[in-house]
Amino acid sequence: MRKKFVFVITILLGAVLLSACAGGPVHGSTWPGLAADGNTVYLADGSIYAINLSDGRQVWRYPGSTKLVFYSPPAITPDGLVIVGSAGTDHSLIALNPNDINPETNAPVEAWKFTGAGDHWVAAPLVLDNKLFAANSDGNLYILDLQDGQSVKDATVVELGGRLWAKPTTDGERVYVTSLDHSVVAVDANTYDILWQKDLGGAVPGSAVLSEDGMLYVGSLASQLEKFDPATGNHQSVLDAENWVWSTPALDGDTLYFGDVDGNFYAFNTLTGKLNGKPVKPDGPITASPLVKEDHILLATESGSVFAVGRDGKVLWSEEIGGKIYTTPVTASDLIIIAPLETDFYLAALDANGRQVWTFTPEN
Amino acid sequence: MWDLFISIFVNVLIWIYDVVGNNFGLAIILFTILIRIVTWPLNAQQMKGAAAMQALQTDKDWQAIQKKYAKDKEKLAQEQMRVYKEKGINPFGSCLPTLIQFPIIIALYQSIIRALASTPLDLLKLSRSISLPNVSDLIPLNSKFLWMDLGRPESVVIFGLAIPTLALIVAITTYIQAKLTMPASTTPGDQSAAMSGMMSIYMPLLLGYFALTFASGLSVYFITSNILGIVQYAMQGKANWRNLIPGVLKKK
Repeated sequence: MRKKFVFVITILLGAVLLSACAGGPVHGSTWPGLAADGNTVYLADGSIYAINLSDGRQVWRYPGSTKLVFYSPPAITPDGLVIVGSAGTDHSLIALNPNDINPETNAPVEAWKFTGAGDHWVAAPLVLDNKLFAANSDGNLYILDLQDGQSVKDATVVELGGRLWAKPTTDGERVYVTSLDHSVVAVDANTYDILWQKDLGGAVPGSAVLSEDGMLYVGSLASQLEKFDPATGNHQSVLDAENWVWSTPALDGDTLYFGDVDGNFYAFNTLTGKLNGKPVKPDGPITASPLVKEDHILLATESGSVFAVGRDGKVLWSEEIGGKIYTTPVTASDLIIIAPLETDFYLAALDANGRQVWTFTPEN
Repeated sequence: MWDLFISIFVNVLIWIYDVVGNNFGLAIILFTILIRIVTWPLNAQQMKGAAAMQALQTDKDWQAIQKKYAKDKEKLAQEQMRVYKEKGINPFGSCLPTLIQFPIIIALYQSIIRALASTPLDLLKLSRSISLPNVSDLIPLNSKFLWMDLGRPESVVIFGLAIPTLALIVAITTYIQAKLTMPASTTPGDQSAAMSGMMSIYMPLLLGYFALTFASGLSVYFITSNILGIVQYAMQGKANWRNLIPGVLKKK
C-alpha cells in the first residue's frame, strides 16, 4: 500500500509541477506593452488597461482570457482607436474604440477585428496614413486599410520570414521591418514590394531607427550596431557592443542612445561614427529603449531603476522603482510612466525629477 | 540549483541542435537517447528489483508470514522488512526510475520552452542560460520538426477534426511499454502485479494528457523514451510480448 501511495503522490506532484510550468500567460509572463496619448496611458499586461494619467485610476479594462492575452504595445490611430494584438492562442488584432464603452462590462467596444494572422503578436503595428503595417510572429507583414473597418478582413500579406517582434519603421516611402531570422527588410510603402533584405548574423528584436542624415541604424543580437543606406540596403557595422543590443536606439540630433544586455549605455555620434565617450554602466541589463528628454536621457534597467543621464554622461538622478524593468517607458503630461515586472503594482508614474506621483494596481 | 539543472539541459540541447544541423526535433531525440544511457543502470536496477519482488511472491517464507500475520499489519510490515533485508531486496528499488523520470520530464519541458523562447522574456532568459560560445547565429532556434511546432501542442486536422496524433502515440507506446514489463502474476492478491496493472492504465493516460496539453517537443521525448525502453527490455529478454494479447494475463 505504501508503494501505491508513493506512486500516486509522485504522479500527482509531477502533474501539478508540470501544469504550473505551462499555465496560461498572465501578468509577469513577459514584459508588458505601453502606450500613451494626451490623457490616458494604455497598458497591455494580460488584459488591456486604460489609466487616467492625472491620478493613475483605471478608466476601463478590456479583459484578456486564456485565448486572448495582450503584451504588445498598443497602437493609437489618428481617429483614437486603440489597436492591440493577442499573444494567446487566438491571434486576433483588435481595434478598440475608447469612445464607445459598453456600460455593462465597462470595456470598450471592438471597432474591428483581424483574425488572419498565423501566430502571436509581439510588435506594435505601425500606422502610416490610412494603413496599418502589422508585423506578426508568423513572419508576415499584414497591411490593413484603416479607412474601412470591413476591409481589414482582406489584408495584404507580405511574407518576410522569421519572427517579427519589432514595430516597423518608415520614412514615408519605405517600411523597414526587422526579424528574429537575422534580417532587415525594406518594403515599398505603396506597392508592398520587397526592395531589399539583408542578413545581420544575429536576431533583431528591436526596431530600426532613421537618423537625421537619412541613414538607418539597427542593433542586433550579434552585438553590433549596423548602419544602412535605406535606398540600397548596403550596410556596415559601425560599433561592436559588449553584448546583445536589444533595445531600439533613440535618436537625439546626431546622437543615438542605446543599451545592451550587459548593462552598457552607449552614446553614438552618427556624424563622427564614434562614441561620444566611454559607455555608462548604470546597474543592470538594458532592454528598454532610452527616452530623450529636454535636458537628459532617461533609461530603465532590469535592476528596477530609472536613471536620468545628462548628455555629458553624468547621472543626474536615479530612482529605484523595484522589480525588473524591460519595457520602454513612455512620457505624457509631464509624467514618466514605468511598467515594471515582479512588483505589486503594474505601473509607476514619476515626475520630471524622478519622484513617484502614483502607482497603478488593477481593480478587481 | 534547479535553474542550473535547466541551463545544463538547454546547453546540451543547443549543442546537439548545432551539431545536427539546426534540427531541434533531432536534438530532442538524441538528448533522450543520452538520458536513457545515463539512466541505464537505474532502469536495470528497476528490472532487477521487479524480478526479485516477483520471485518473492512464490517464496515459502514470504507466503508463511503473509498467512501468519494477516491480522497484525504492524507485525506483518516488520516481518516483510526482515525478509527484504535477508534477501537483499530494496522494496522501493523498482520505483526509483519512475521517480527519476519526473524531474527529468519537468526539466526537459522547461528547457524546451526556454530554448524555443516564444516571448521576449524567454529569449532574454535563454541568453543567460547559454554558456556555449558564438550561439547568437543559432538564435532563435528553429522550432519546426516534420509537421510539428515543437513549442506548441500538436494536432493534425483530418476532415475538419483536430486529431492529437502525438498524444495518441504517446499513450499507445506508454501502454505497450508498461504491458511488456508487467510480470506474470502467479499469486492471488499479488500487490506487485496489481501495482503494475495500475501503472499500465494510469501512466498512458497521464502521459497522453501531458502530450495533449504541453509542447509537442515533450511528446517527442516520451515517444523516443518509450521506444528505447521497449528495445531495452527486449534486448535483455525481459519483454513479455504475450501481455499485449488481451485476456492472456487473466487466464494465468
